[in-house]
Amino acid sequence: MRANKHLLLWTSLGTLLFLGWAAYTENVQNEWRQLQRAYRSALPPEQREAFRIELRQIVVPALHVSDRCVSCHVGMAPGEAGLRGHRTFAPHPDVVHDPSGFGCTVCHGGQGRATVKGDAHGTVPHWPEPQIPRRYAHAGCGSCHTHLEVPNLAILGHGRDLVERYDCLACHSLDGRGGTLRPAGTGGMAGPDLSRVGATAHDRGWYGKHLAQREAAQVGPWRDSFAPVPEPDLAAIVEFLDSRVGAPGLVEAKALFHSLGCRGCHSIGGVGGDDGPDLTRVGQRDPGQLDFSSVPGERSLAGWFAEHFRAPAKVVPGSAMPALGLSDAQIEQLTFHLLSLRRPEFPEAFWPRDRIRAVRFDEREFAVDGATLYGTFCAACHGPQGQGIRYAGMSVFPAIGNPDFLALASDEFLRQTIHSGRPGRRMPAWGEKTGGLRPSEIETLVGFVRGLGGGAAPGPDPRPGRWAAGEPELGARLYAANCASCHGERGQGNEGPALANRVLLASATDTYLAETVRRGRRGTTMPAFSAPSPVRGMLSEAEIESIVTHLRGWQESSR
Amino acid sequence: MSASAPALTRFGRNLVAAPRRFVETMFRSGAPTSDRKRATFVFGNVFLHLHPARTHRWSLRWATTWGLGIASFAALGLTLVTGVLLMFYYKPYPDAAYDSIKDIHFVVPTGRFIRNIHRWAGNVMVVTVILHMARAFYTAAYRRPREFNWVVGMLLLVVTLGLAFTGYLLPWDQLAYWAITIGANIAQSPREVTDALAMTGWFDPGGFQKLLLLGADTVGAEALIRFYLLHVMILPLGIALLLAVHFWRIRKDGGLTRPDDAEQRLGPTRGVYPVFREAPQRTYQLAALVRGKTAAVGRGPEGTVPAMPHLLYAELAVLMVTTFVCLLLALFLDAPLKELANAAVPENPAKAPWYFLGLQELVAFSAFMGGIGIPSIVVIGLALIPYLDRETDGTGVWFGGPGGGRLVLTSAAFGLAAVLGVEAIAIRFGWIREWWPHAPQLLITAINPGTVLTAIYGAYSIYLVRRYDSTRAGALGLFTCFLAGFLVLTVIGTHFRGPNWEFFWSPAQWPGH
Repeated sequence: MRANKHLLLWTSLGTLLFLGWAAYTENVQNEWRQLQRAYRSALPPEQREAFRIELRQIVVPALHVSDRCVSCHVGMAPGEAGLRGHRTFAPHPDVVHDPSGFGCTVCHGGQGRATVKGDAHGTVPHWPEPQIPRRYAHAGCGSCHTHLEVPNLAILGHGRDLVERYDCLACHSLDGRGGTLRPAGTGGMAGPDLSRVGATAHDRGWYGKHLAQREAAQVGPWRDSFAPVPEPDLAAIVEFLDSRVGAPGLVEAKALFHSLGCRGCHSIGGVGGDDGPDLTRVGQRDPGQLDFSSVPGERSLAGWFAEHFRAPAKVVPGSAMPALGLSDAQIEQLTFHLLSLRRPEFPEAFWPRDRIRAVRFDEREFAVDGATLYGTFCAACHGPQGQGIRYAGMSVFPAIGNPDFLALASDEFLRQTIHSGRPGRRMPAWGEKTGGLRPSEIETLVGFVRGLGGGAAPGPDPRPGRWAAGEPELGARLYAANCASCHGERGQGNEGPALANRVLLASATDTYLAETVRRGRRGTTMPAFSAPSPVRGMLSEAEIESIVTHLRGWQESSR
Repeated sequence: MSASAPALTRFGRNLVAAPRRFVETMFRSGAPTSDRKRATFVFGNVFLHLHPARTHRWSLRWATTWGLGIASFAALGLTLVTGVLLMFYYKPYPDAAYDSIKDIHFVVPTGRFIRNIHRWAGNVMVVTVILHMARAFYTAAYRRPREFNWVVGMLLLVVTLGLAFTGYLLPWDQLAYWAITIGANIAQSPREVTDALAMTGWFDPGGFQKLLLLGADTVGAEALIRFYLLHVMILPLGIALLLAVHFWRIRKDGGLTRPDDAEQRLGPTRGVYPVFREAPQRTYQLAALVRGKTAAVGRGPEGTVPAMPHLLYAELAVLMVTTFVCLLLALFLDAPLKELANAAVPENPAKAPWYFLGLQELVAFSAFMGGIGIPSIVVIGLALIPYLDRETDGTGVWFGGPGGGRLVLTSAAFGLAAVLGVEAIAIRFGWIREWWPHAPQLLITAINPGTVLTAIYGAYSIYLVRRYDSTRAGALGLFTCFLAGFLVLTVIGTHFRGPNWEFFWSPAQWPGH
């Protein structure tokens, strides 16, 4: 019994010790209490009394948010002034929204319910949405602003250059630069900060008023710093200013994304190609589910994206995405944009204007001029000038800006090709139900593509759509001898486009087919078969007609 | 107190004496300073009077029981206390459950600790009840007159596993959701047989069981509420009832099992005052009109000591050691919590709780056999042990009976070899469908590693019965084989099975992330 008494005594003492220790470490010495104590001692003495050490949280029931970030980041809690410059206790940087309006995790990710640093930042296993890294913080705007309107990249850059050149920054601060620092009372003036001028209502007649001021002033900054701006420059400046919503990196990144043709293969929000994965929510992917075996450095979503941009097939074995040869700066921006592609579910009452405009009123977040549409959807495959691209290990993407091609391709041909794509090949169907492009947009693209070829267009064709009446067997032999090496034995395509393609054969006239064979396409590997050559025989008109007949033979079987 | 003193004086004296009198009226028999008072202390107390007034010294030995029964009870008590505390904050609805667990972990003062204790005490309880069952078996504590208490113990084992399983779903994370999906599909496994016999259309016990469990076709809000109700109300009430019967039977059966020559084995009493030698003619406070004798009549109390303090200190020591261990674990090891349950993202591998992983390993070969067939055979087989082994040789002693400890060692080795051999064949070469892709399902239901192993163990047991001419020897062999098999299968299911239930030598080799 003595032994039992000892066992009882020592385990009881041990248990009491554990209970006391747990109570102490979890309630007195826990992280956020210690931090709040440190904050309190850093406050000026007169404020210390009023500061209570308690759990702080921002609760927004409609968003299912209970964010306790402000228990440690006390400076950002509602009602606290914070300590400027401090690592943890600094107040929230000046942003468009009130941080306590939505909570923290809606914009920053992470685990709001946690009160321990690692868990709260979401960098622990089994939390699918880690915090967005600080340098990409504005990517969180994409959670709600899913259809943020951005201008064409070239116009954006041009507008930015013009704002610099016309010295608007002499009086106006913009994205943290510029503006005057004249102390009050010394005759200076400062214009309003323009960083958010695109998000808020502003006077659209500003230019007229600026001019009037200039006329009225005899001396001073209105005379010296402001000069009239000619019309096309003014339009670019206005577009640039309209894009200033307090998230400059985000706008730039999105504009870049929409100039590289990524949506040619990737759909976002139902608009885009289907060759690659849908990217609508790619910024919300769980890094714990990704394969990091080929990704050096930290195991974060941003790191994975960046490496994937550098070498897609290395990170995703068997990937159909080519290595695009992007610069590091571009990769940084594209990573930024991808991180902003998030779409958590929340009530419509919280939807911002851009999302309502897009979803309810069918407005586009990208500009719908030809250059932007082409840059958004076509440039990655067909090249920025429509010159076609040859990526290693893939069949060639045709040069649709080739003048010889455009001289034969009618608008209807181009329209049908864009609308229905090339089934079975890499060209997606872009019609409204498939790729999501509207008829007006397709029309714009047709015009732009034609412009890429210098305006070459087919003349009127006196012959009907189907006039070829050659001999199919002759055509088959000739095809096998001359065409199969590039276009495939069954017309399935190889180096050259697929000819046994339902949409091609439906939209191409016999003239188109025959003339293409006859003239070739200069600048591509399609030779002119009616021209003399040391390496192959010339094809006569009748032989070309037979080949066309042979191609038409595939029209039934490819249906 | 002089009655002749004035009333006011008496009042004053009464007031002063009130605290002492309060204590005296609370403990009517006073401090336990004599044997009579010690006995009264126990049987006059509503909380303690389930205990006997005197306990045999053999029952108090650590080597006899290792305190496993009380340890199970202690673990249960811990889960009850911490469970009630958790109920203040836990919300049993899919939208709220996971977040409420997060709040308990991060915000509720000492919530992390309480939740960890609850999880660890639950796991400790499963371990101790299994060890307790092994102890009761190896000391042949199921023999006459304790057969029915052994059956009650089996029921308690089932309810304990039920409690652990129902609790597993409540956090509503990926671990919980998919483990219970597996469990519900195992409940549906009779379809393996009814499908093969084309009976499912009009006789579908599998589907019925799954519906009963989940209240719907998939794990959802209905299942959560159902499991919550089972976990906090129905199964605890069940376990309380069964425990009442279990403890009552211990008293009525005459205390814990001990060998007939327990006195000789113990030797003289040391350090305790000499016990009296007369056998009582009747037990305490036995009504004169009742016929028959209780277990204590006719047996001298030579080897007994007062329950207060000996038994009570022993029990308190076990209670505190169990508490200490659970708190130690809880302080340093967090209860797991994975991502929020997501029906679109199955865990791969989706694993049942550890105590069912051995079964899941068998289920991988045949859902019906592994999930229903073999567990039924095991439970019924275990329940039958007291009725098949009615010998008296070796009661109360560890590994008592023909063969003894050596037989147990041999059986353990045999059991290990058999299970490792069957598993090695199944893992290395596959099973019937590898060579005969169109093998009928019923053939595989009948012949799979689980049934083969059961048959091997059964044959071995029958061999032992004949060799030692003793049912006890057969039981010793069979039970030991069962333990070995359970252990190895659980270890394989835990450590060596990865995605798609394929065999890997280590989790580091799993494909994917």
